[in-house]
Amino acid sequence: MSSWKSLLLRLGEKCPEYAGNADFKDQIEACYSAVRRELEHSGDDIFPFLLQCAEQLPHKIPLYGTLVGLLNLENEEFVAKLVENAQINLQDALETGKCNKIRILMRFLTVLMCSKVIQPSALVVIFECLLSSSATTVDEEKGIPSWQARADFYITCILSCLPWGGAELVEQVPEEIERVMVGVEAYLSIRKRVSDAGFSVFEDIEETNNAVNEKDFLEDLWSRVQDLSSREWKLDSVPRPHLSFEAQLVAGKSHDLAPVSCPEQPGPSGVLSGIAFGRQKHEAELKYPQRIRRLNIFPSNKTEDIQPIDRFVVEEYLLDVLLFLNGCRKECTSYMVGLPVPFRYEYLMAETIFSQLLLLPQPPFKPTYYTLVIIDLCKALPGAFPAVVAGAVRALFDKIADLDMECRTRLILWFSHHLSNFQFIWPWEEWAHVLDLPKWAPQRVFVQEVLEREVRLSYWDKIKQSIENTPALEELLPPRGGPQFKYSEEDGTDPTERALSVELKDMVKGRKSAREMISWVEENVFPAHGFDITLRVVVQTLLDIGSKSFTHLITVLERYGQVIAKICTDDDQQVKLISEVSSYWQNSAQMTAISIDRMMSYRLISNLAIVRWVFSSSNLDRFHVSDSPWEILRNAVSKTYNRISDLRKEISSLERSVVLAEEAASRARDQLDSAESKLSIMDGEPVLGENPVRIKRLKSYAEKAKEEEVSVRESLEAKEALLARAVDEIKVLILSLYKGFLTALAEPLNDAFRDGTLRPSGQADEMNIDLEDSSVMDLDKDDGGRPKKSYSHPNGSREINGYNLDGKQQWCLSTLGYLKAFTRQYASEIWQNIEKLDAEVLTEDAHPLFRKAIYCGLRRPLDE
Amino acid sequence: MASLFKDLAKISAYRDRRFPGTQEEFEDALLKATTVYVGNMSFYTTEEQVYELFSRAGEIKKIVMGLDKNCKTPCGFCFVMFYSRDDTEDSVKYISGTILDDRPIRVDFDWGFQEGRQWGRGRSGGQVRDEYRTDYDPGRGGYGKLVQKELEAQRQLVDYGTGSLGAYPPVMPPPHYGRHGGNQGYGGSYRHGRDYHRKRHREDDHHRSDYPKRSYDRESRRTSDHESRPEKNPRFRESGDSDEEDDDDRKRRT
Repeated sequence: MSSWKSLLLRLGEKCPEYAGNADFKDQIEACYSAVRRELEHSGDDIFPFLLQCAEQLPHKIPLYGTLVGLLNLENEEFVAKLVENAQINLQDALETGKCNKIRILMRFLTVLMCSKVIQPSALVVIFECLLSSSATTVDEEKGIPSWQARADFYITCILSCLPWGGAELVEQVPEEIERVMVGVEAYLSIRKRVSDAGFSVFEDIEETNNAVNEKDFLEDLWSRVQDLSSREWKLDSVPRPHLSFEAQLVAGKSHDLAPVSCPEQPGPSGVLSGIAFGRQKHEAELKYPQRIRRLNIFPSNKTEDIQPIDRFVVEEYLLDVLLFLNGCRKECTSYMVGLPVPFRYEYLMAETIFSQLLLLPQPPFKPTYYTLVIIDLCKALPGAFPAVVAGAVRALFDKIADLDMECRTRLILWFSHHLSNFQFIWPWEEWAHVLDLPKWAPQRVFVQEVLEREVRLSYWDKIKQSIENTPALEELLPPRGGPQFKYSEEDGTDPTERALSVELKDMVKGRKSAREMISWVEENVFPAHGFDITLRVVVQTLLDIGSKSFTHLITVLERYGQVIAKICTDDDQQVKLISEVSSYWQNSAQMTAISIDRMMSYRLISNLAIVRWVFSSSNLDRFHVSDSPWEILRNAVSKTYNRISDLRKEISSLERSVVLAEEAASRARDQLDSAESKLSIMDGEPVLGENPVRIKRLKSYAEKAKEEEVSVRESLEAKEALLARAVDEIKVLILSLYKGFLTALAEPLNDAFRDGTLRPSGQADEMNIDLEDSSVMDLDKDDGGRPKKSYSHPNGSREINGYNLDGKQQWCLSTLGYLKAFTRQYASEIWQNIEKLDAEVLTEDAHPLFRKAIYCGLRRPLDE
Repeated sequence: MASLFKDLAKISAYRDRRFPGTQEEFEDALLKATTVYVGNMSFYTTEEQVYELFSRAGEIKKIVMGLDKNCKTPCGFCFVMFYSRDDTEDSVKYISGTILDDRPIRVDFDWGFQEGRQWGRGRSGGQVRDEYRTDYDPGRGGYGKLVQKELEAQRQLVDYGTGSLGAYPPVMPPPHYGRHGGNQGYGGSYRHGRDYHRKRHREDDHHRSDYPKRSYDRESRRTSDHESRPEKNPRFRESGDSDEEDDDDRKRRT
């Protein structure tokens, strides 16, 4: 890397490029003189790189801004080009809705204003443009209020600039900025407060309606900015290097900034009702998502004493480092720990990372990314960060019962993965008390699921060893054993079935083909023994052959899957097949999930059969004590969804190819036409058409291009047909999923939460239910489908560590939690099918809590 | 996203000498790959552990364990195939350098699995890096193969009269993966250091790519190999049954 480049890149860092000198003023001067020398011959390389640095390392923007200010004294033309480019980029980002680019370019322009590169009034013009677009959007007559997410985002961008340039703006253009502030205030008064419902990490179980009184993100930012303004715009977290150069900078020429324009309203104006409004709002929130939802997990005496606005700025820094340095481990870690602020921020950093890990509906990156960041920070700050992480874990564990179901799952996956990187060391004795809790208590389930995932990442003995300080926790370890092959022992198994199994194994060893095996089944097994035995023998035996590893399983399914497909042709039979799989792998939740998943891949099992099996009686009673059935359900839905989203991606790329092919074809046609219409002299005679060789060549080009166009078009049509089928498939799946939830929840909800709120009915008296020996949720047919109830469990009403829910109540809460999580994750698909859902699932008699879970997941107002 | 620190041209520091095309084709294959090569694994790590870890990057299509070509047991590497390119990239970004079974594994784009690439390319059947290692690595079969042979020869000379090499205490301490210990620094310097080794190992892998396939008595060779193998792998579900090994062998080929 040439030296001006590395000086630019490393500006503001304590690094060898600047001989370890971390003084901003010295660094800027050094960088300035290096860049200035290169302006003549590398100017065209410098300005895109400089812009790139500013856009991707936004916590250093003030330094880059000051540098540009100095360059402006040297070479106005260069800086004019840079400003023009920044403006073009901003306009483009506004049109294409690139949120991060908009936000950061506005910050960059603010900083350029501080360095006298652009006029303060030019910046105010941009603010006013965004402001007026926002005000129009939320206007009920002229605007399109369902798109408030975009309006809010624009206002957030305006307010976000003020920590960087508020002081300068107020000093130089006090009236204009006052007008902007008044405008923002007016906007805040006409917009609707954004409810966090459905997206908050902690469920407000008491329903104290805190949410109504709590500020939303934008109001909160507004109050932080007001606080900043009351401190005369002074803050600690934003370096102001331009002040050291003020005497020079004032001599610079301020450049014009072309105005920007906000994109048109995304649809016809006016207030839509009900579903249409909900759909649009959903779409807008996907495009303009809220960046962060603060977690506030640490007690306030522990966290750093930071001014409200500084907290906001540091969060912005951290989120931007996470965003732009994704995939660059070393730089990401060193920027995270080395922000240009004069205070400590470990707790804030942990809270911010956890807020991303748990962000709903989904974080910007896969949760594994945050796992890696946390691991690296623990290594980079060995004295400070591990303890903070442990504190976060404890805080989250304490509130686990209120934690959103999806967040619980993410936390379990993260924590087990994290510990696997640190030798599985954890003070488990702190959590030994969960053994006193009923087995459905969220804390107990959490510990059990973390151990389950640890075992999957490692092996049973190792994890047992890791909890040896608290041997009692062994009770929560998953079973140790491997597969449960029905025909492995002489005694206890039916000799006939055993013999069949041996025969089948021999066929596999003898490398018989699937067809031979099918005829053996059809001739020798099925007629004599019937469906159940045939299924059991074939599935048990084939699974056993494939039990050695994932690859063995795949191999056996690839070779003999057809045999299973032949036996299990409808959903009923496939449900039995799944039961057989889960019986064979009863000691391994992971292998159960993998086997079912693979069988779905090979289309031996339909997603509908999986839904039915998950909601069958054998699974219902473990909904609140294990993640295992949910894992299987999640896999099935996500597999179906992945097919759709892959097809959508392929189609959109094919659509682009079609356009290109069309253009190519018409170009070739035009060339041919013009060649044909040209007069040329042949044998002294003027004839129509150019030389025949060329015409022939052009003709063949045109034909080829046409063929290409037709073939791309055909593959597009083929994909569209596939997509249409996949869309139908997911529609059916969604409906069956929600009917499954509806049926499963109806009775228990009416029993446990009769009045339709989360206040349990008859708590601690006649409704105590013991799940352990009566499997309450077993909707026994003899019982007319009513759950069996067993009263008077001696421990049922005892309150342990503040946890006092009985099995049925927790069952309802957990199941509702998963229902909400599914709804939220697949909200886009569900909105597509909402009419159907309204008609068939969300009927009048749906329990209010059931309705609430779905509405929450969709962020659909309940009072609509 | 960040292009400032990533040299996109350098998608991989080394090159598989068995790749049948030009350098450009190789890089192109890596840019489109949905397969990753996973290295520095313990011999004891199972496919299911790999599945659990890598499924956090995305849906897995297939896993191919690297096997010792003589004993058909895992020899410390594998290939993981994903369905989507994004997931493949994420596994390289987020899993490489993290710990699996107490070892920092490395994850690199791979040009695509082909039959035959599952076998170790070392003279003794495993990976070449395990031929020449001089340290004692309990996760990878103790000492390197050459050192093992040397010790074996010494044992016969001196005749300690006891069982296999497994009984020898390690001369060098086993690697210590303390939380902040030793070479467990984070990030770049750590990675650069590893890249160096990585390169060397991979080249070693290919050092003898033209090693002739000799016809020898497999059985006798296998027996001797079993003897010099310091510990058996208790967690590999298939140990020693020659019938099953053939079975496995056959499966891999189909």
